Amino acid sequence: MRVTQSMLTNNMLRNISSSYQSLGKYMDQLSTGKKINRPSDDPVIAMKGMDYRTQVNQIEQFERNIGEVHNWMDNSDSALDKVQKGLERLRELAVQAANGTYEEGQRGNIASEVDQIKEHLLDLANTKVNNRFIFSGTATTGNAGEKPYELNDDGTFANPINTDNVNIEVSNGTKIRVNVQPDSIFTEELFTDLTEFSEALKDGTDDEAIGEFIGKLDTHIDNNVNARADLGARQNRIDLIENRVKEQLVTAKDMMSKNEDADLEEVIMNLTSQEAVHRAALSGGARIIQPTLLDFLR
Amino acid sequence: MASTFNGLEVAKRALHTQQSALYTTGHNISNANTEGYTRQRVNMTQTGPYPPASRNRPEIPGQVGSGVEAGSIQRVRDSFIDKQYREENTKVGYYETKADMMTKLEAILNEPTEEGLSQSFDLFWQSLHDLSTNPEDSGARAVVKERANAVVDSLQYVHSSLEKVRANQKDEIGVNNSKINSLIDQINQVNEQISKIEPHGYVPNDLYDERDRLIDQLSTYADIKVDYRASSGQPSAIAQGIATITLAVDNSDVEQEGNDPVVLVDGGADVELGSSDAVNHLFTDFDNDNNLKAIFFANPTEGTTAESLADDYENQQFIYSDNFNVQGKLQALIDGAGYLTDFQYGGADDADYTSAGEINKIVTNIDTMVSQFITEFNAVHQDGYALKTDENGNPLQGEAFFTGTTADTIAVSDAILNDVDLIAASTTGATGDGENAIELANVYTKRVEEYLSYEEGDPAQLDDKATIKSYFESIIGEMGVVAEEANTMLNNSQILRQQVSESKQAISSVSLDEEMTNLIQFQHAYNAAARSMTVVDEMLDRIINSMGLVGR
Repeated sequence: MRVTQSMLTNNMLRNISSSYQSLGKYMDQLSTGKKINRPSDDPVIAMKGMDYRTQVNQIEQFERNIGEVHNWMDNSDSALDKVQKGLERLRELAVQAANGTYEEGQRGNIASEVDQIKEHLLDLANTKVNNRFIFSGTATTGNAGEKPYELNDDGTFANPINTDNVNIEVSNGTKIRVNVQPDSIFTEELFTDLTEFSEALKDGTDDEAIGEFIGKLDTHIDNNVNARADLGARQNRIDLIENRVKEQLVTAKDMMSKNEDADLEEVIMNLTSQEAVHRAALSGGARIIQPTLLDFLR
Repeated sequence: MASTFNGLEVAKRALHTQQSALYTTGHNISNANTEGYTRQRVNMTQTGPYPPASRNRPEIPGQVGSGVEAGSIQRVRDSFIDKQYREENTKVGYYETKADMMTKLEAILNEPTEEGLSQSFDLFWQSLHDLSTNPEDSGARAVVKERANAVVDSLQYVHSSLEKVRANQKDEIGVNNSKINSLIDQINQVNEQISKIEPHGYVPNDLYDERDRLIDQLSTYADIKVDYRASSGQPSAIAQGIATITLAVDNSDVEQEGNDPVVLVDGGADVELGSSDAVNHLFTDFDNDNNLKAIFFANPTEGTTAESLADDYENQQFIYSDNFNVQGKLQALIDGAGYLTDFQYGGADDADYTSAGEINKIVTNIDTMVSQFITEFNAVHQDGYALKTDENGNPLQGEAFFTGTTADTIAVSDAILNDVDLIAASTTGATGDGENAIELANVYTKRVEEYLSYEEGDPAQLDDKATIKSYFESIIGEMGVVAEEANTMLNNSQILRQQVSESKQAISSVSLDEEMTNLIQFQHAYNAAARSMTVVDEMLDRIINSMGLVGR
């Protein structure tokens, strides 16, 4: 085959430019840390990359949702803890008042303490966290902005209480109830019992009648303990879910990285060897252009 | 008996011939770097011997040679390789333009990144989840509104950018159309010049080079066929003749009676070469939406436009855009700008045809996705309850969240923009209920068959098992595959063209070493011829001045 100077120079230019192209590709991979920079580099990796990104975004969101769940449960639990203390104090008072050694004035004092504790329990029922009532079912803004729990004189509720579940999605398709059902502890019965208890203390001297309230209070204490046990069980469950979601996040990020991240050692090796090729091409090019027959004729 | 001065004549012929060979070598060296130049060589031939065979020939033993002459000067070129080169050149033109366009599309859709359309959908999804955990919070609602706006903006940006690329492609068709027409005119001019020289027996090598260069350029734009016709008069046996250039299309695709081939440059004997009668220019007829309807082929007379030709389509030669299967730059551009399928002049109405093309396809797919998304999102939204209440204190039922039906018309409804409390996050109407927000978020990830708005067998819907997310991924995947193929094919066709070009150069390009060798060779021959003339001169000197002096 006949080879001419212009063929050599054209080939050399083409080779140098394709060598530059490879250098550019490796530099891209090195500076972005990604194997691919556009879908055409590898359509499958690109599609998977989009999918993994969404997955990571979703799992991160579920982590945020779980934070919200903790917020609900921790606040509910601390409120119930205070309810427990209030109820225990009430039981003490009931036992004291029922043993018949107290005179009327002292019972009156006990009655006013019972009234105060009732108010305290009412306040606890109206607990507001992050600007929402947490013991009011899904009616978290209360009664058109007013407190959901308001009592009539006889201790009955002025307004009906919403008892619906508040659910939060904590992983794909799994929703968990985050609120304490109001009717499991802040029942109408609780408040009417307390109102009656206070009335009995104020005007009655019947030890028997007062003694009955000890049993009623025990029921309410039981209810509260059950509600807390239920809450605790759900807290355990959410801890398990949280661990799983965290692991999922690590796995998803790992998959994403394996899918599209460049293997830096490999890229650097490639870049170095490409550099060597490029140098060789350039130095070869410098030699190709130089001599012609003309240089040796005289 | 040979003439006394025969030797002088032979030497003179040698001098002239070697001289012309030296000059041709010089011409080659001068054009070593000229694009499209073909090296030339002098075909030296012996002149007729003495005596010629005739009745009154002198009776001498044998015939004496009478020297050399430059028979012709010829290009060293293989026309078969030209044909191969042009075929590959056409492919390179097609894939180069296509790969270039796909690169632009990839940049516009910008996936997979943290900035693309799917990211804005992801953020919208997240904001809906935040709303579901804080349904009574106006902050969470405002975030949903803004993220929805971001989705709308991304969609509109993608749509308008894609349309812009299409408009650019259309403009590029216009520019390339004039380039093609100008090449056609130039080839016609060269044809005319050649037709004036060849009848005299000359071989106009440099005009041939010029014409081949122009035809090579033309082959970038479309696949063409070149035929040659011998000139009239007394053309040399190695003369190339007059070129006729036809478009390499299936003749049945040509809309005209007789389905004649599309002749771009006519080199026939019955036309006036160099005149506008000998050429057919390309005229491209577009609809209002940048889609190509058809390409017309007509003589470029004053006032001829694509519109005037389209009005008179029954008497014109043209090809409908979906039949224009001629590889090359032009087809790639048409594919990008968009074209109409099943379009017919004088056809019933718009409903009969649809727009096609690479960008049109992506635009349509995104529109389908957006329309599906809007329909289902609104259906779910209307199924829920807003935070806002009516005068009786009952929560309002959700209304349409998005308006519009396509990527360029989608918008968040004015009601939502003005009052975020109208976002229907609740399934029951209770303020702390955020479950409808989850349903809204799920629109992005749930399967079509689970849609509230699902209707079995509705062709406007996506596939039953598809989700908005997977559909968008498939749009990107499909685009990636097309772009990958265009890049690969570009690379392949470039390598093939390079190979053909190499064989072409191996034959035709100037090697300086070779020319230097020839230069010396011819110089020596010249010098030797001069010496032979000196010998004859000395011989004559002997005869004229020194003979007949015997005994003096």
